[in-house]
Amino acid sequence: MAPSPCAICKTNRALILRPKDHSKLCKPCFISVFETEIHHTITTNKLFHRGEQIAIGASGGKDSTVLASVLKTLNERYDYGVDLILLSIDEGIKGYRDDSLETVKRNAQQYDMPLTILGYDELYGWTMDQVVEQVGKKGNCTYCGVFRRQALDRGAARLGVKHVVTGHNADDVAETVLMNLLRGDLPRLSRTTSIITSTPSAVSTDPNSHTNIKRSKPLKYAYEKEIVLYAHHKSLDYFSTECIYSPEAFRGSARALIKNLERVRPSAILDVVRSGEDMAKLVPGSDEGCGGVCASAVPAAEEEEGGCGSSNGRTAGGEMATMEQQLAQNEVAAENGLEVEIKSSTLSAPSRKGKKPKGVAPSPRKAPKQVMGQCKRCGYLSSQDVCKACVLLEGLNKNRPKHSIQVDDYAQENTTSGVHSVTNGLKKTHIEVD
Amino acid sequence: MPGKHVGAVAEQPCRRCRDNPSVLVVRTEPLCRDCFLKYVHTKVIKRMESFRVRFSDTDQQRRILLPISFGVSSVTLLSILDQHLRTQAAKTRRTGFSLQVLFVDSSSVEDPPLDDHLLAKVQEQYPDHQYASLPLHDVFRLVDKDTALLTLVPDFRTKKDISAPEQLSSLINSLTSATARADVISSLKTRLVVEHAKSSGCEGVLWGDSTTNLAQKTLSETAKGRGFSLPWQVAEGESPYGITFNYPLRDVLKKELVSFVELSEPSLSPLVHEPSLGATQASMSSKNTTIDDLMKQYFESVEENFPSIVSNVVRTSSKLAPAPGSRSDPHCSLCHMPVVGGRFGIHGWGGDQEDGLETPIIEGAEGLCYGCTRSIPRTATTSNETS
Ligand SMILES: [Zn+2]
Ligand SMILES: [Zn+2]
Ligand SMILES: [Zn+2]
Ligand SMILES: [Zn+2]
Repeated sequence: MAPSPCAICKTNRALILRPKDHSKLCKPCFISVFETEIHHTITTNKLFHRGEQIAIGASGGKDSTVLASVLKTLNERYDYGVDLILLSIDEGIKGYRDDSLETVKRNAQQYDMPLTILGYDELYGWTMDQVVEQVGKKGNCTYCGVFRRQALDRGAARLGVKHVVTGHNADDVAETVLMNLLRGDLPRLSRTTSIITSTPSAVSTDPNSHTNIKRSKPLKYAYEKEIVLYAHHKSLDYFSTECIYSPEAFRGSARALIKNLERVRPSAILDVVRSGEDMAKLVPGSDEGCGGVCASAVPAAEEEEGGCGSSNGRTAGGEMATMEQQLAQNEVAAENGLEVEIKSSTLSAPSRKGKKPKGVAPSPRKAPKQVMGQCKRCGYLSSQDVCKACVLLEGLNKNRPKHSIQVDDYAQENTTSGVHSVTNGLKKTHIEVD
Repeated sequence: MPGKHVGAVAEQPCRRCRDNPSVLVVRTEPLCRDCFLKYVHTKVIKRMESFRVRFSDTDQQRRILLPISFGVSSVTLLSILDQHLRTQAAKTRRTGFSLQVLFVDSSSVEDPPLDDHLLAKVQEQYPDHQYASLPLHDVFRLVDKDTALLTLVPDFRTKKDISAPEQLSSLINSLTSATARADVISSLKTRLVVEHAKSSGCEGVLWGDSTTNLAQKTLSETAKGRGFSLPWQVAEGESPYGITFNYPLRDVLKKELVSFVELSEPSLSPLVHEPSLGATQASMSSKNTTIDDLMKQYFESVEENFPSIVSNVVRTSSKLAPAPGSRSDPHCSLCHMPVVGGRFGIHGWGGDQEDGLETPIIEGAEGLCYGCTRSIPRTATTSNETS
C-alpha cells in the first residue's frame, strides 16, 4: 500500500492516525494541530488574562506534564503574558510520591518554571500516613479524597495565586458525564462539564481565602490518546501514574463505556462532552441564562478527581450495591406509602425485609438543588455549615477515630455477587473494530 | 441479595397472595405467576390514567397509535391494553380510547427480516383494533411537504424522479457506519410513526420502551451528541412533533417483560420476534456494533443486579426540562428536534476547534442538529448541491 500524504500539509508522509477523527497526519502537523486546538480553547473561553499568575496542578503524570509543556509553548508563541508556576501536592504517604515528585522537579527545570510542593501536613496538619495511623486503613480513603479535592485550592491560596489549571481531558469530562447520569446526579453533572469553575460572586471578606480560586481545564477537549501521542512525539518526561487501585464502580463503568464508545465512533468522546454541556443548560434550577456553563453558577468544589490513591478499604462495585439498596428502599417506601393511601381501611401492608419505611421518599438520596455556601471554619465552598475537610479534621484533632463518616455518601460497603456480572458484562462488550 | 436464586425461590410462598408458590423474584419480592402478571398489568395501567373512560368524550372516540415491532415490549403492551380495553368494554360498554396498531417494515434496509406471518397472528389474537403495515420508505411520501428531509438523499436534485424505495436505500447506503445507519433508520421510523398517527387522527403515540430501554436511550443519545434532545426522548407529554408521547412500560424492566411473555397464558412467545442473544453477542465482536448495541448490552447487565439504578437513570434524565423558548426554535431536517437558536451542525461550540465560533446563524435555515450531523456529515449533503 502506498504511503498516504499528510491530510494537512499534503507533502510529508502521514505517520499518525489522529485519534479524534482518524485523519492521517505527519508528526509536525499533529503537534501543531494539537497545540492550536488548545490555544483555541483558551482564547474562545477567555481562560487567561494578561498579567495573571497561574498555578499548574502538577502530578508528574502525562496530563499535567503535557499541560505544562503546551502552556509554556503557547504563552511564548502567542504572548499571553501569563506567569506560569507548578504546584504539586504531597499527600505524605511514604514512598508513594517519590518518583512523581522527582519528575515534577525535573519538569520545573525543563520548563524553567518555579515549583512549589506542599504537603498535607502543611495544609491540614496531618500527613496521610498519620491519618492512617489514627483512623486505621479502612476509611482513610474518605480523608484522602476530601483532602485532595481542596488541596490545590488551599495550596494556591497559600501562594497568593488566584487561578489553578488542571490536566482534566476530554475523556475525563465524558467519563464524568456518563458517571453522573448513572448515579443520577444532575447538579454534579452540570458543575463538572463547565470549563471554568469558580465563584467570583461568593466574595469572601478575606482576600487570601481560597474560595476565590478560579479553576480551569484547558485540555477539556483534548483526547487522552492524543495527549499520550503528544507526550511521546515531544519526548516529554513524565511519570506513568497508572493507578493500581480500581476506580469506584460508577466511574469504572463509565470509563469502560467511554473506551468502547471511542472504538465504535471516534468522535463519541467529544459528543458526550457536547451532550453534557447541553444537558447542563436543561437541569432545572440551574442558572438559566448560562445553564451552569458560565463561571458564576459553578462552585469550585471539583468533584471529578479519579480513583483514590490509597483505597485500601474500597471494594469494586460496593458503591453500586450501596446505592442500589438505598434506591430500592426508597422505592419500597414510596410504594408502601401509596398502598397505605389507597387502601387506608385495610391493615397496612406487611413491611418488607423488616425495614420500616420512613415515610414516602420517592426521590433518590440527593435533593436536585444544592445550596452552596461557605464553610464557617475555612471559607471553602460547601453545601454544609462546615465543609467535609473541616469535619474530618475536627474528628482527627479530637484525637479519636471517627467511626461513621457521614460526609461521603459513597463510603465503601459490603459488596454483592452482582458486581462481577457487571464487570464481566463490560469485559464482554470489549470489542475491536479495524 | 438473599433469595435471588431460583432454588431459594421455589421454597418461598408468594409474598402477595401468600398462597401460591412463587415462580420468580421481582425487586426482592417472590411472586407467583398470577401476582406477577397482575403486577406488570397494574404498572402499565397506572400509566394510562389520562386515558380512562370517564375522561373520554361520548361522541368522539379517542384514538392512540401503538407502533409494534414484535419485540417483547410492544407485544406485551398490546396484550395488556387489549385486555384492559376488553375489561372496560365489559364493565361500561365503552372504552377510554381505541388503538391503531402500526408496523413499520424496514426490512429493505435492516436485518434480520421478520416472520411475515407475525402481523397476521397478532391481528388474529387481538382482533378489536385497527392494523396497518407501512414500508419505511413511505416516510418520504408522508412528509412530502417537508422537502428538507428529501434533500438528505444523495443526488436528490439530479434524480428527482427516483422512487421512494430507491430514495431510502440511496440515503442509507450513503452512510459510512453501522451506528449512523441505525441512528438514521430510527429517526425515520419515528417520523413515519408520527406522520401516520397524525394522518389517521390519533392524538398520541404509545411507545413500548421499558425502564431498561429508556435508560439505554438516555446514555446512547448522550453518546451520540443528542443530550440537547433528551427532554423529548424520555419524558411523557407533548412532543416537538405536535402530538403526545407516552411510555406506558416505563416502570417495567426489560427482564420483567421477558418473564411476562413467557408466563402469559397462552404464552406470547409465538408473537414475539426477538433476535436470539447469541446473535447480539456475535455482532458485538464485529465492526457492525452500534452505540445502541453497546448501551443495550450494558443496561441488560446492570438490570440483573441493580434494577433501581436503572430506574434512577430514567428518573434523572426525565428531570431535564426543555430549554425555554424551544418551541420557536427551528427543527432539525432529519430528527425534527428543536435546535436552540438554529445552531445546526457540529460547528460553533467550545469543542469545535476548526471553524471558530463565527458560524453564521441564518434565520429560518434548514439543517441538521449536532447528532444527525454526526451520522450524515455535512460534506455528504453539500457535495450533492454542487454535483
Ligand atoms: Zn503534515
Ligand atoms: Zn472548611
Ligand atoms: Zn401470588
Ligand atoms: Zn437531528
